[in-house]
Amino acid sequence: MVTRQRPRSTRLLVVALVSVSLAVITLDYRQRESGPLAGIGSAAKTFMAPMQEAVTTVTEPVGDFFTGLANLPSLADENAALRSEISSLKSEIQADAFDQEQYAALLDLLRLSQALEPPVVASTVIANGVSNFEHTITIDKGSSDGVEVDQPVATGSPEAPMLVGRVVDVTAASADVRLIIDRSFAVAATIQGTREAGLVEGAGDADLRMSLVEEGTLIEGDEAVFTQGYELDGEAGLYPPGMLIGQVSRLVPGDNATQEFVEVRPAVDFETLQFVLVLQARTEA
Amino acid sequence: MMRRVLVTFVIIVTGLLLQSTLFWDLKLLGVRPELMYLITIVVAILEGPNEGAITGFAAGLAQDFLLNQPKGITALTLTLVGYAAGLARQYIASPSPLLPTILVAVGTAAGIAFYQVVAFLLGQLEETFTFAVRVTLLTALYGAILTPILYPLLRRMIEGSRPQRVVRF
Repeated sequence: MVTRQRPRSTRLLVVALVSVSLAVITLDYRQRESGPLAGIGSAAKTFMAPMQEAVTTVTEPVGDFFTGLANLPSLADENAALRSEISSLKSEIQADAFDQEQYAALLDLLRLSQALEPPVVASTVIANGVSNFEHTITIDKGSSDGVEVDQPVATGSPEAPMLVGRVVDVTAASADVRLIIDRSFAVAATIQGTREAGLVEGAGDADLRMSLVEEGTLIEGDEAVFTQGYELDGEAGLYPPGMLIGQVSRLVPGDNATQEFVEVRPAVDFETLQFVLVLQARTEA
Repeated sequence: MMRRVLVTFVIIVTGLLLQSTLFWDLKLLGVRPELMYLITIVVAILEGPNEGAITGFAAGLAQDFLLNQPKGITALTLTLVGYAAGLARQYIASPSPLLPTILVAVGTAAGIAFYQVVAFLLGQLEETFTFAVRVTLLTALYGAILTPILYPLLRRMIEGSRPQRVVRF
């Protein structure tokens, strides 16, 4: 069983380890991306990525099973809701077809179709971060596939992308993506129909918060929220305009102390996210 | 000695692998378990404060390097958690089989709370107070649930890698 150690040497050891930890915190704090610690971090991620990929491949069905089990009671309701949605969508599609034709014709006129479809790198989610305190995913494509830090990440089709997040770290064969629900994430956005612009910020497990909406904006709920292109000091924003972020779920009126803001439910289901697209070229705002 | 390092390495890597993949799907009310805390506390219980502190430091640093936040806070936290859990174990005479479960729960709660305070002071924690409390309680509960399953396994691996000079009964 436990052998008693000499307390003095143990205490000395703890003081030494605590000092090293503090040194690591300080060093990393001062030289984020460039220091030797970033190199070790990158090596650690390179080491873990193939194993994470293997484990995810094996455990995916297990995870899906438990996710399905947890959602079982709501499935019947969801089924009915989806059926009615399908029938209403069918009629909408027919109306949309006409609009689409006109839109395509206009695009050709403006020769914009090239600019709106930047090259993408399709990749698979291999891990979901390691901590309760940051919302990130790891994908199986890295710098050798052309993925770079700050590139936007989406899901859905390249024609109708939904914003997932932004690349924050890359190794040769994997990359970490900060999700839009992370509290340190922010993106300029606009509410469909109102042309209101604001800043959407992550709020962890809760719905996203959109601030800077002009007071008195009429919001009915369920309006779609898209990324907003902008230009600051001649540099375009990170995110191309027109990527779906989510739907307005609630307007929280402000009072004397707090500013009015809108809650936005993300369009992407991060629990079941498996495939994402990394957008390669930044489109001009 | 070499064998112990290797076994600890395998345990930590496996823990981080599961935490970043499988346990994302097996979250408890939106919170994933903190396996590095559990591993550190179990080693501290079995091997004392010395090994507890070293394992905590190694496990914490390993987790830190996978994060995209300033590194070192988990290492600092787990060094102290390992040391404290090892010390506490020496002063508890209870033969209760529930002891590891209780120590993991209390140690995880204290550790996660400490981690959040340090991260907050460094300006790295942007979560709300209710989230902080929720994560502290749920990770402690999840740790307590996993301990009866993982403790026998970890114990066999750790005791099996003890240097030969230790006499076992």
